Amino acid sequence: MSRWLLALPVLAFLGWALLYPLGRILALGLGEGIGATFSNPYYWGRLGWSLVYGLGSSLLCILLALPLAYAFRYRFPGRAFLLTASTVPFVLPTVVVAIGFLSLVGPRGVLGVNLYGTPGILFWASVLYNLGLVLRPLVALLPGLEPPLAAARTLGATPLRAYWRVGVPLLMPGLLSGGSLVFLYSFTSFGVPLLLGGIRWGTLEVETYTALAYRLAFPQATALVLMQLAVSLPVLLLYLRLQERFALQVGTFGPPRPVSARGAWALTGGLGMVFLLLYSPLLSLFFRALQYPGAWESVWHSTDFTPAGLALGHTLAFAGLALLMGVPLAGLYAYAVWRGNRFLDGLGLLPLLVSPVAVGLGYLLAYPGLRGSLFLLIAAYALLSYPLLARAWLPSLRAMPKSLLEAARVLGATPWRRFWRVEWPLVQPGFRGGLALALAAVMGEFGATLVLQRPEWTTLSLAIYERLGRPGQAPFGEALVLAALLCLVGSGLFLGIARRKED
Amino acid sequence: MLVKPKVRGWSLLLGAVLWGIGFQGFMTGWAQATTLTVLTHDSWAMDKGLVDQFEAQTGIKLRFLKGGDAGAMLNKAILSKGAPIADVIYGFDNTLLSRALAAGILQRYLSPQLKNLRAETLLDPQGYATPVDYGFVALNYDKDYFRNKPLPTRLADLAKPEFAKLLVVENPATSSPGLAFLLTTVAAFGEDRYLGFWADLRKNGVLVANGWSEAYYTHFTRAGGDRPLVVSYTTSPAAELFYSEARPKPSTPPTGNLLFPKGTFFQVEFAGILKGTQNLAAAQKFIDWLLSKPVQEAIPTQMWVFPALRGAALPEVFKWAETPSQPVRLSPEWIAANRDRWIEEWTRTVLQGQAPSR
Repeated sequence: MSRWLLALPVLAFLGWALLYPLGRILALGLGEGIGATFSNPYYWGRLGWSLVYGLGSSLLCILLALPLAYAFRYRFPGRAFLLTASTVPFVLPTVVVAIGFLSLVGPRGVLGVNLYGTPGILFWASVLYNLGLVLRPLVALLPGLEPPLAAARTLGATPLRAYWRVGVPLLMPGLLSGGSLVFLYSFTSFGVPLLLGGIRWGTLEVETYTALAYRLAFPQATALVLMQLAVSLPVLLLYLRLQERFALQVGTFGPPRPVSARGAWALTGGLGMVFLLLYSPLLSLFFRALQYPGAWESVWHSTDFTPAGLALGHTLAFAGLALLMGVPLAGLYAYAVWRGNRFLDGLGLLPLLVSPVAVGLGYLLAYPGLRGSLFLLIAAYALLSYPLLARAWLPSLRAMPKSLLEAARVLGATPWRRFWRVEWPLVQPGFRGGLALALAAVMGEFGATLVLQRPEWTTLSLAIYERLGRPGQAPFGEALVLAALLCLVGSGLFLGIARRKED
Repeated sequence: MLVKPKVRGWSLLLGAVLWGIGFQGFMTGWAQATTLTVLTHDSWAMDKGLVDQFEAQTGIKLRFLKGGDAGAMLNKAILSKGAPIADVIYGFDNTLLSRALAAGILQRYLSPQLKNLRAETLLDPQGYATPVDYGFVALNYDKDYFRNKPLPTRLADLAKPEFAKLLVVENPATSSPGLAFLLTTVAAFGEDRYLGFWADLRKNGVLVANGWSEAYYTHFTRAGGDRPLVVSYTTSPAAELFYSEARPKPSTPPTGNLLFPKGTFFQVEFAGILKGTQNLAAAQKFIDWLLSKPVQEAIPTQMWVFPALRGAALPEVFKWAETPSQPVRLSPEWIAANRDRWIEEWTRTVLQGQAPSR
């Protein structure tokens, strides 16, 4: 019963903020035009490419995250910083990331190779954006693998055999669940393929966007949304099943392992190199921003555009408000699912799957009275960020040993005290990791496409777009500086949130 | 004695009602500071001092909503017809005008200022859409790149081998300058030959970006791309000079306009009152204000377009925004009748590489 009581507010919010507005838009498209879209081979081609892009991205992320996660088992200087780095790209508007990529490996890039318009650059960008989605949970969960592996060794298995027969089966669901999240994100992605691949590599989401925003072609948009859901819903269900399984099998978290000083510095150096290569487009962005010394000064008191301080204030304020709404939602969601509410489990992730532009236009139809209201803006941000938080929260809830809670109860702890002294310390690492991801989503451009923006609410990412809409060195330089600023503020916040005491 | 509590009850009720009325009165007094909501495209910018002045003089509070690119913004207004999301819409251009008129979202208004506007901007004789500003979509070139190289002298040159892989354009399906340039080619080459020209451009390595920002800031050579020719506006070189970071400030812009005959597109941006507004009088005042001299004279350096008002002074830097002698002017009706087909044919030819069927 309690699992439904917990679920009720989340379901009400989802119905209000997602299902009803989305339904209003899709209903406009029900009719004859749908069939024509389904019979057009062009759209099947788009679907095919979206699938390739999604699968390729998740495979690459897994292949890279696995060895990295093992390295992160150890304690070494800069560990927290590098882990944070995997979340930072989430905050950056795609245009800015594209500028970073092109200045590095574009037609006139400093490296001298032109990768523009090749699938290579697209997959690189996808790994850059999504690696954190696989890496962070893996790092948190690898320690749980050790007791069973040690047991297998004690029982006489060779290291290889122990790993193959015990380690891999335990790890598999975890890898696949991270992989499916990356799949969902890249399969439905919009900006990256568009900006770096040119027009040729548009995903289904891109087609939905142009159909809705520019042509008001409702039948086509409805068909495309349905097509996309037909792929993403089964993947979502797979993901949920996998996440449930792997979380049940893996034990508690452990602190990073100590390692000799030389080993630690070797890890710092090695991982530093990997991250340096992977994130070189962002560094190149910084480098370019430094070439506009005047902009670092002028961006704070710009009169033609929103000054940096104001935009920064909005970004922080909206992020705070969105989390104020999103954290309770995520908590209710995580606890309801933990108590066995499978229905909500699936439904709660829908915000990650549906086209933001469809939901945004749905708001105009469904809630004309809320046009340009702060409440709708915050709700939209919360809608897009709470699933990330809840998904990271859930595995640590599931990994919580029931025996500990029962022991606390038997020893006479009140429910509140039990939560505060036993549950919270155990769940906290997962919660913090999720909070960093959710914050990153809120600080990025995600919400901006959903609601009508008011100029006096310009956030950092919108302030970047504002400047990129004018020709000239000064606006361009300021846009680069703002992107660097967004990176810095983001990493500072994530570092503060996700860092946990390592002793 | 028994009556007393009753009286008290009644007086309490009366008091509550009176208080309620008073509160209502207070609220209406509050609401008399009318809020006027204006839906604009993302490029809207206006001097804050002028906005404050309008609010102080009229008691009307202005609330701006940014609805995306001009096309996306207009679609939002069309979608919410009946329960309009704003009182006034600003920023749809002559390529979108007939769509706005056909959708029946606008309320007619003939501003007393209309007679002072440039005649060529008055494209809606019925007076549903009021012209506010105009500009020209044109090719810009990077002066550094073309220092010792010949420039193209007509549109057809762009398909020649010596200009291979030099041009970046915007996708007409998602960008208003992109659509304007497509319309330019239709006017220049005619219905039967424009697709052939685009097929040649494709063979010659034309690059297609989704929007102006992407074309200008990732592909144009000025910002580090490899394309020295970009579809932009005739005012862009002036803006480049205005926003130049070089010290001392250069005396000429680093980019220039290519003003071929029939190679630029005349674009007018309109404002209109949305049907169903509760604030008709305020909306009319706002439109008049948009056409007032101070606002019209602020428009050039705020949004880098030309004021529609005759006699509005231009800033010094606008001498670099030359007016083309033979811009393409297409009737909104003709655009409306063919726009979707042109975009579709263009998409097939340029993006999907199919041979033009005509």
